[in-house]
Formats: sequence, C-alpha cells, structure tokens
Amino acid sequence: MSRNDSKYFSTTKKGEIPELKEELNSQYKDKRKDAVKKVIAAMTVGKDVSSLFTDVVNCMQTENLELKKLVYLYLINYAKSQPDLAILAVNTFVKDSQDPNPLIRALAVRTMGCIRVDKITEYLCDPLQRCLKDDDPYVRKTAAICVAKLYDINAELVEDRGFLESLKDLISDNNPMVVANAVAALAEIQDNSSRPIFEITTHTLSKLLTALNECTEWGQVFILDALSRYKAADAREAENIVERVTPRLQHANCAVVLSAVKMILQQMELITSTDVVRNLCKKMAPPLVTLLSAEPEIQYVALRNINLIVQRRPTILAHEIKVFFCKYNDPIYVKMEKLEIMIKLASDRNIDQVLLEFKEYATEVDVDFVRKAVRAIGRCAIKLERAAERCISVLLELIKIKVNYVVQEAIIVIKDIFRRYPNTYESIIATLCESLDTLDEPEAKASMIWIIGEYAERIDNADELLESFLESFPEEPALVQLQLLTATVKLFLKKPTEGPQQMIQVVLNNATMETDNPDLRDRAYIYWRLLSTDPEAAKDVVLAEKPVITDDSNNLDPSLLDELLVNIATLSSVYHKPPEAFVTRTHSSAQKTEDDEYPDGIESESSVNPANGPGSPPTSSYTIPASPPPAAAPVPDLLGDLIGMDNNSIVPLDQPATPSGPPLPIVLPASTGQGLQVSAQLTRRDGQVFYSMLFENNSQVPLDGFMIQFNKNTFGLAAAGPLQVPQLQPGTSTRILLPMVMFQNMSQGPPSSVLQVALKNNQQPVWYFNDKILFHVFFTEDGRMERATFLETWRSLPDSNEVSKDFPAIVIGGVDATVERLAASNIFFIAKRKNANQDVFYFSAKLPRGIPLLVELTTAVGNPGVKCAIKTPSPEMSTFIFEAIETLLRS
Amino acid sequence: MISQFFVLSQRGDNIVFRDYRGEVQKGSPETFFRKVKFWKEDADGDAPPVFNVDGVNYFHVKVAGLLFVATTRINVSPSLVLELLQRTARVIKDYLGVLNEDSFRKNFVLVYELLDEVIQGTKRMPGTAITKSVVANEPGGRKREEIFVDVIEKISVTFNSSGYILTSEIDGTIQMKSYLTGNPEIRVALNEDLSIGTSDYRGSGAVILDDCNFHESVHLDSFDIDRTLSLVPPDGEFPVMNYRITQAFKPPFRINALIEETGPLKAEVTIKVRAEFNSSINANTVLVQMPLPTFTARVNFELEPGVVGHTTDFKEANKRLEWGLKKVVGGSEHTLRAKLTFSQELHGNIMKEAGPLSMTFTIPMYNSSRLQVKYLQIAKKSKTHNPYRWVRYVTQANSYVARL
Repeated sequence: MSRNDSKYFSTTKKGEIPELKEELNSQYKDKRKDAVKKVIAAMTVGKDVSSLFTDVVNCMQTENLELKKLVYLYLINYAKSQPDLAILAVNTFVKDSQDPNPLIRALAVRTMGCIRVDKITEYLCDPLQRCLKDDDPYVRKTAAICVAKLYDINAELVEDRGFLESLKDLISDNNPMVVANAVAALAEIQDNSSRPIFEITTHTLSKLLTALNECTEWGQVFILDALSRYKAADAREAENIVERVTPRLQHANCAVVLSAVKMILQQMELITSTDVVRNLCKKMAPPLVTLLSAEPEIQYVALRNINLIVQRRPTILAHEIKVFFCKYNDPIYVKMEKLEIMIKLASDRNIDQVLLEFKEYATEVDVDFVRKAVRAIGRCAIKLERAAERCISVLLELIKIKVNYVVQEAIIVIKDIFRRYPNTYESIIATLCESLDTLDEPEAKASMIWIIGEYAERIDNADELLESFLESFPEEPALVQLQLLTATVKLFLKKPTEGPQQMIQVVLNNATMETDNPDLRDRAYIYWRLLSTDPEAAKDVVLAEKPVITDDSNNLDPSLLDELLVNIATLSSVYHKPPEAFVTRTHSSAQKTEDDEYPDGIESESSVNPANGPGSPPTSSYTIPASPPPAAAPVPDLLGDLIGMDNNSIVPLDQPATPSGPPLPIVLPASTGQGLQVSAQLTRRDGQVFYSMLFENNSQVPLDGFMIQFNKNTFGLAAAGPLQVPQLQPGTSTRILLPMVMFQNMSQGPPSSVLQVALKNNQQPVWYFNDKILFHVFFTEDGRMERATFLETWRSLPDSNEVSKDFPAIVIGGVDATVERLAASNIFFIAKRKNANQDVFYFSAKLPRGIPLLVELTTAVGNPGVKCAIKTPSPEMSTFIFEAIETLLRS
Repeated sequence: MISQFFVLSQRGDNIVFRDYRGEVQKGSPETFFRKVKFWKEDADGDAPPVFNVDGVNYFHVKVAGLLFVATTRINVSPSLVLELLQRTARVIKDYLGVLNEDSFRKNFVLVYELLDEVIQGTKRMPGTAITKSVVANEPGGRKREEIFVDVIEKISVTFNSSGYILTSEIDGTIQMKSYLTGNPEIRVALNEDLSIGTSDYRGSGAVILDDCNFHESVHLDSFDIDRTLSLVPPDGEFPVMNYRITQAFKPPFRINALIEETGPLKAEVTIKVRAEFNSSINANTVLVQMPLPTFTARVNFELEPGVVGHTTDFKEANKRLEWGLKKVVGGSEHTLRAKLTFSQELHGNIMKEAGPLSMTFTIPMYNSSRLQVKYLQIAKKSKTHNPYRWVRYVTQANSYVARL
C-alpha cells in the first residue's frame, strides 16, 4: 500500500469531541449547559459521543432541572455501554431521589428504571421503596411504573423486595392517577408472568370502578382493560358493571370507547335478558360508528375490531351499512377494511345498494381495491342465494368493460359461484370464453381451465380451448399445470374421441417426464393408472360430484373468534391473531441483553453462513500481509474525522457479543501489529453484510479506543456505524460483527476486489491492511425465481450479457450437497436437465439493487471440469462472480 | 408500554429518537421506514398504521408530512398508542408553533422534555395544561386575553348520476383554544332543540345528532336540560365536543358532469358547479377533480369568458382533470368545458372510464347543520375586563363526490 493512502484520514478540522470535552469541563454554567445540549444533539443524529461519558456525568450535580434532564437522557442512552462508569452516577441518583422537589425525585427513579445495568438496579431498590410511599402522587405513580420495568429486568428482585405488595396497596390510593398507573403496572407484570399475580376481587372491582370516574382518559383505558379480565359472578353483577361502564362510550378518546366496548361485550356474555342485550347493542352502535370519524389510523383499528364484533353480534350494526361505504379520499387500508365489513353486513334487504357501491369501486384506480371489490361481488353471490343472479349480472357488466384485471378477477369468483350453485348459471360460460385470450394470471387461467373441464360436455369447442393452453404447458406455473391436467382428463372421460386422446397423451407425458414438481407428477401417475386399468372407476373418481361450497365471509374459526373477542382493543384484534402468535418477548433472563442488541436469529451464526461454516476453512490466500505503517499519523485529527464518518441512521450496536465462532483469516498478524492480531472476513447474515472481526491483544498493554475506516472501493463498502470494541486487556481477545453498508464510498476506475482498511486505537499507530472482498456476500436473500421468470429473464437479456468460464479442476460430487451449499449463499436451484452425458444445472441469484444473475453449470457429475455460464445485466462483475462461484463449488 | 418513540422525516431521517425500555433493537427506525416505503412494490401504497416485523409492533401516524412512530413488544391497546401519537404531535405543535423538521431540530431539548412527560409517564397525559407544570418552557403564541370557539363541520356527500343524494354525513367538532388567564369556567350553550339519537325526535327544524362525545373536562350536568356545557378549558387547542349527523341537510354545492363522445377519438366534458348558499358567503380554495379515460392524450380547456382566479390542469400521470376556483360567491354557477383527445379508441362505455367527480372546498362562516353556539359565557368576577370571544364557523368538504 502506498503512503498516499493516509490522505483519506487526514483532515484540517479540529475534532468535535475534544472541543466538546473542553466545553463540558468549563467553569461557566451556561457553557456547560450548551455543551450538554450539543452532545445530546449529536447523539440524536446517531453520532457516537459515548467517549464523553465521564465529562457529561460530571455535569449531573446541578440545581438546573433542564440540564439535569439532559444528563439523564444521555445516561439512559450510554449507561449500557459504559456500565462501570455508570456506577459513578448512582450516588447522584440516590441523592436526587430524596430531593425536596418532587419532579426531581420522580425523574431520578424513572431514569434509574430505564438504565438496564444490573449493578444499578441493586441501588434502585431503596429509592424505589421510598418513592412508592412518597407524599406526592406524581412520584408515587412514577414509582409504580418503575416497578413494572424493574420486573422486566429482574423479576426475582421485585418479588423479594415486596414491591408487588406495595403496588397492590397503591390500588387503594386516594389519587385516581396513582391507582390507574398501579393497575397498568400490575397488568403488565401479569402479562410477563405465568403465575397469578394480579387478581381482581369484588373489592378491587368496586375501588377501580370508582377510580374510573375520576381519573384521566389514559387511566380509564388501563382500568377498563384490567377490569375486562374480571369474571362477574352472575347476570346481575354483570349488568351492574355494564351500567357503570356505559357512560365511557361518550368519551372523545377512541381508546376509551373501544376499551369500554370490550368490557361491555365481555359482560354481555353473562347477561341473559334479551331486552338488556338488545338495549346494550343499541347503545354501542352509535359510538362504534363515530370511531369512523377519527383520523384514518384510528379508523383502521376501529374497523378491524368492528370486523370481529359483527361476526359475533351481527345485529349491532345491521342498519348502519351506509357508514361503511368508502369515501374517495379514504386511505387504501381503510377502504379494504370497509369492503370486508360491507360483505359481512350485506343482506337481502340492502344488497342492491351494496352492489351499486361495489360496481362503482370496481372502476376505481387502485388495482388491489378494484380486485377486492370484484371479489366482494362474488362473495355476496355465494352468501345470498336470492341475490346471486343480480351479482352475476353485475359481474358480467364488469367483464364487458374489458379491463384486464377486472375480467380475470371476475372469472375467479364466477368459478366459485359455479361451485356454490351447480347447474344454474352455466349459460354465461360463452361470455367468459370470449375473454380467454386476455388471461395472463395463473389463478384466473386455472379458474377458466377448471370451468372448461367441468363443463366440457356443454362447450362445443372445449377441446380446442384446452389445446390452446397446452402449447405452453411446460412454462405454466404449477397451479395452471395441475388444472390443465385435471381438465384434460375430464374432457377425455366426457368425450373419449381421438382429439382428447392425443391431448391426454401429451399432457401425461409432459406431467410425468418433464417436470420436477412432485405434486404434478404424482397426480399424473394416478390418472394414468386409473385410465389404463379401469376407465369407469376413473369416471367415478374424476367426475365425482363435488360438495357445494359455502359462504366464507365469516371466515374466522369460532374458537379463534372467541379468543380475539376477549382481546378486543388490543393489537391482537388488529392482526386477528392470538397474542401468543406475535408477542415474542423473552422474559427476565441473563442473556436478555444480547437478544436486545441484534435482530433475531443472529446468534445462530455457524449454520447460517457457509463462508464461515466448518466446511470452508479460511483460505490464507485471502490475507495479504499488511505493509508497515506510514510515519505516525496525526492522531487527534484522525479521531475527529473518524467520528464524523458514516454515521447515518444506524445507531451503534452497543456490545456485540459473539463469544465464539469459526476461525477467520488473519489480516493483521501480531508480528506486524506490535502484538495486536486482527482476523477478519466479510460475511452475510440476515440480509446484511457484516465485517466479522477478531481482535487478539498479544501486547503488554491494554488497548482501547478502536476505530476503523475503509478506503473507497469498487462496491462502496463502508462501516454502517462506529466500531465498538471494549478495552482489550493483554492476552485477551474479542469478536465483533461490524454492520456494513454498500454504495457509500465508491471508487472509480477498474473494478477490484481489494478492500483497504485502516484501523487505529489509542495506544498504537494506525494499522493498514488489505482484505479481499468475497463477492458471494452480496447475493441477496430474495434471489429465488420462478421457472417462468427465469426463462423470461434469460430470454430478455441479450447474448452479449452472457459470459462463461471453465473450472477444469472442480468436481461436483453430490448434487444435493452442492445445491444446498449454493442455496446457503443465496444462489438458488431452478432446474436441471440432461444434455448428452452431462448434466446442466440452472440457478438464480440477485445482486444488490435487485440486479438478477442467472447461472448455468454444465458438468459430468463426479468428473472434473465444470463449465459455468452466467447471464446478468451487469456482466462487468463477471470476474468476481466466477471467483465467488468457484470458491463455493470448491469444498 | 411503549418501547421506543421516534419521529422520522419524509426521507426517513431520524429527527427524534427515544428509547424507553431497551427491548427493541436500535435499528428499528430503519426497519420501519423500509417497510413503510416498500409496502407495495409498485406504488407508494399506504402502509397500515399498525404492523409487526420480527416481533416488534410498529405504530405510526402521519402529521404534517412527518412520521410519528412508536414501537412495542407487548399486546397493548392500539387505539391508545395511536391516540397518544396524535396527541403528542398536537402538544409538540402547541409548543413549537409549527410542526416541521426545522422546528424540531431547533427545539429538540424542549421536544425531549415534552416526550418524557407525554410518553414515558405514559399514563399521565397530554393536554398542554398538564405538561406545562412539569416542562420548563412555556407554549409559544400570543398572550392576549381571548378565547376562540370554532365549529368545524366536515361534510361528506355522494350524489348519484342523476343528482340524487345517496349518502350524506356531517362530522362536526367544536374546537376551543383559550388564552384566558386564571382558567375561569366557561359555559357554552347550544341550540335548545338539539336532540341526540333519533328516538326523541322533536319535529322539523330540530338538529338531530346521531351521536356525540365530549372532552373529559366538560361537565354535562345541565346538558340534558338546557343543552349547555360547562368546562374549565385546559391550555392549547382541544375538541370540546365531537358530533355526527346523518340527518339530511342542504348540500352547499351541486355539481354534475356530462361526457359525450364527439368523434372517433374525441369527447367533450362539461362540468357545472352551482353554489347553493347565501350570496353574502364565499367558498375558498375550491378544487374539482375528475379522472379521465386512460387513453386520454390531450385536453383543451374552455372557461367561461371573463372569469378570474380559475385554473385548469390535466395531470398526465394519473389522467386527472383539475379545476381550481379561488373563490366562489354564493348563488353563482360556473361551467368548464374540456375537449379530450384519445390516443386509442375506447372499447367500452366512456361513462364507465371517467369519473367520479370529486370536490374539495372551505366555506368560512357557514355551517351545514344548524348547530350553533348560542352563547359563550366566561365566569369571571371582575367587570373591568372583557376578554375577546370569537365564535367561528367553517364547513369543509371531506368526501364530496358526484358519480357519473
């Protein structure tokens, strides 16, 4: 590496951090306050200002509330990465928790609860105990919430110190705000625990109902949600509760209204008097409708809930269907939900009105919405027998507009209508056949083919129609192939003449010999055997009478619906999934801190990435020994520059803890690095590129303050955040994963796979080393293609984009293992064919920015020599691609 | 309850980021933004306000082009979180005066303070009044003794092709903004013949609300007797009462469009707008829009001679005709003629491919329902000072549509 490379580190700007440090230690109060503000500003935009920890904490002892709040904010953000230093702040916290000013007392306790450092939580207990019994209600309510947070960090501690009892005592507090917060805290703790902790007795019930009238809207939501778990003893008690809750329906806050509705629905289950129930339904309807006047975001939540409510109690909104008609300026997510509810409320009485609306929607601009509207018409036809004919005539009208996706959607629903009302509406088949040529979506094609096969005896030219589809049989998606197979068999059984007989031969051949799809093959074999052994039995099987389908618009499973109704006004009711399906919180364990740092699944590293897997030992050829460092670089300036780099929106990962893993190639040997040895390699995990690094300190001094920078390179690779290496004691090592971004600092000039890296720490000069960019880390996870897409892409690319290369030494032994290995690197198997004595394999992959890559490998399995041809819009990358494929094939 | 709160600019930049529980990874804003941005592959389709990615629930509301986002891992009340986000935006706006990236950056310390009170305390909540006691700064704005009461009605009307009203609805709000010192009690009296629900219908002329709800500061002790509300208003702007009316009302505008084929590749559209309110009243910022057939290549507009303040436009990208009328005087009628040229022959019914006609407008000092604030009383002992009291009415179009 030439000495000139040092220039990308040099800068004339004085470092921001030293400047701030100076200001933070200023003797003037105002200057210190300004400095803290600057630090917080830098933190907000994602800069790493953790090195100022001590200096900021020094500003903590102040009478100035604003300054104190800012310091606390800083602490919450960085305490985790500097746990030892955070202890320094404990004394001030404890002191603040006894400050005469209740705001400061509350602030101190609240902040301590936010700092997830074990050592701090120990010190939190005493102040918390005091604050739970504070004279000021604001402090008490803050402390109540803090208990729930602490429970999440350390449940045992909370139970041992009797905080749960204190919390339960707060339910009887004279301040309704405190009561509401204690209830919220207890409910949250209960959610986190399998043991019964918070049980509502008749006594607490009456306390909470009283508090309900006095506390704020938010408190009302918490109390209502907690109370909805209460099981009333009998109908009378239920009626009493409902009576106390009904006035909440008049609240302007939608959350209060929904929680009240949930509570009432819950108690209604117990109420036996039909009059009372009818009356309650009547009371709930207007407020539910009013929710649709709120902001669209809240409307969406309301609609998802209403969807559940009308499934259980259809009468509530039976007369309100008009309010669910779509407004032209509704966001699409609101329109979709309204449509769903309109189907549910459609009845013989209002169907004409509803159809008029659907017809209107079917000519709107948004394609998804139009499709859903067309489908809705079909669903109404299936649901309402007496309206079926009117629905069909609307569908036929829509087909006549000849908008492609409308026609296709209509055909899909008409197929369902045929299955619901067999032998009733077949007269319209002729109209459908007119649109045959325009069908290009698999589902629509499959539906049309099903119709032709099912009614082959009534369609004069059924054989011609089917034949037109057969030409493209091999390229069709599986859905269409299956339908074609069945329809041809039906046709043959119904019209066993010469034409169909030839067709059936072609189809069976195609479906058994030329396909990799086991479903298709198996079905073809079954038909084949049936036809060859007993054609009459084949008739009984293939032409058997099908059960009539029913309306699916109340499509939730009753037991699921029950569970969801209990969860009205929670996320569950928006997703229509039971809570356990999406609440993935892991509870109070020591490993928790690590889970928090990474996206899910990152720990399971060894199996994810073959580049690091045991099967591919690191090749030392990747490591080019680093050249000796240039004369001492201007360290302080560099620091300022490094801090400013690449700090986009990704906030640093605090303590990447990856204790072990496969060996990495050494990029900076200890002999060059004055005892510091660095091994590193690019790797891909969970859709992101990381620089996996191992630092070993073989020197005599602790090393800290590590920073890294990447030179401009062909792929614009750069660090996505600052390097976070903890202080490295002599004789210890640490592994980290540094997230990387692409297209950041692209170099011009000829493509090259060299990655130049500079690394510094506070004790040593700057080290430079070269690494080799492993191209296969760039293959993205979404590279899998349908066969049809593959063929189409292959055809659409000009031949000039095809490049090939021979790997004479490579042997492909096991096909499955090779396919699997490539798939692990996001190169996906598409198909295989035989060509003379060789096998040809096709693969697809995707490069960043969605650039497709098609790969063809030709080889005689077991013998040396593989010919690799690739086709991609970016052939200039071919050298790297070949290199990557070669590396992956060599095992 | 909430794990994180953040505000993103339209481009996805982090403007504010606050982590309350440290249980969601810090890259969540990016995950969120990518998901919202690419919700639909082809277009910038609206992502639903609540969704789950990898066990993290994301809630968001869009206010003034900014995305207010909250994350959580637990099964919370989504309407509560969304209300909270809306309110947070409103409280921040009360303090900053205006909501945009710049005002956030300039006042980030204040914003963080507000957030702490609003969200972290969670359970205690906005209303500027509450925050005022714990937040160091004062809300910006004027200091004169005055109180504003705005009756804002958003109306939705759908006309069918023959001008008959299919659906109509009024979403009304009585909004209050008080700058009175000493937080005096205020009484607001509404029409005495106001009735709620259709059950106690009192004959024609009465205003019938389908439903209404009230801010929590409102006392309804005498509401059932004389339709007065009494309250001690909190600081900042807040809705005193929301109401909903489906009782028939006279729509302020009649609109209709005629579309005729005039040749093989030609058609003519005639749009008529008639203002059916009193001539002393003007409607502002009126905009009429109509989607045209997909194959429309060119449009020539023909306005009435001598009109001023009218603009016409053909939005090529989504094939939409736009007709803007800066001011429409009550009782007046305006016509727009547009000659369309198609690039291909239409295969179906031209009426089916165009429309519906939609309209937006604002009509100050006009309310569609007859709901009125009869009087506004400030209970204050001193006779010497008389604060300014403003009662204003405005009607706006929500979804005002005529089908062809």
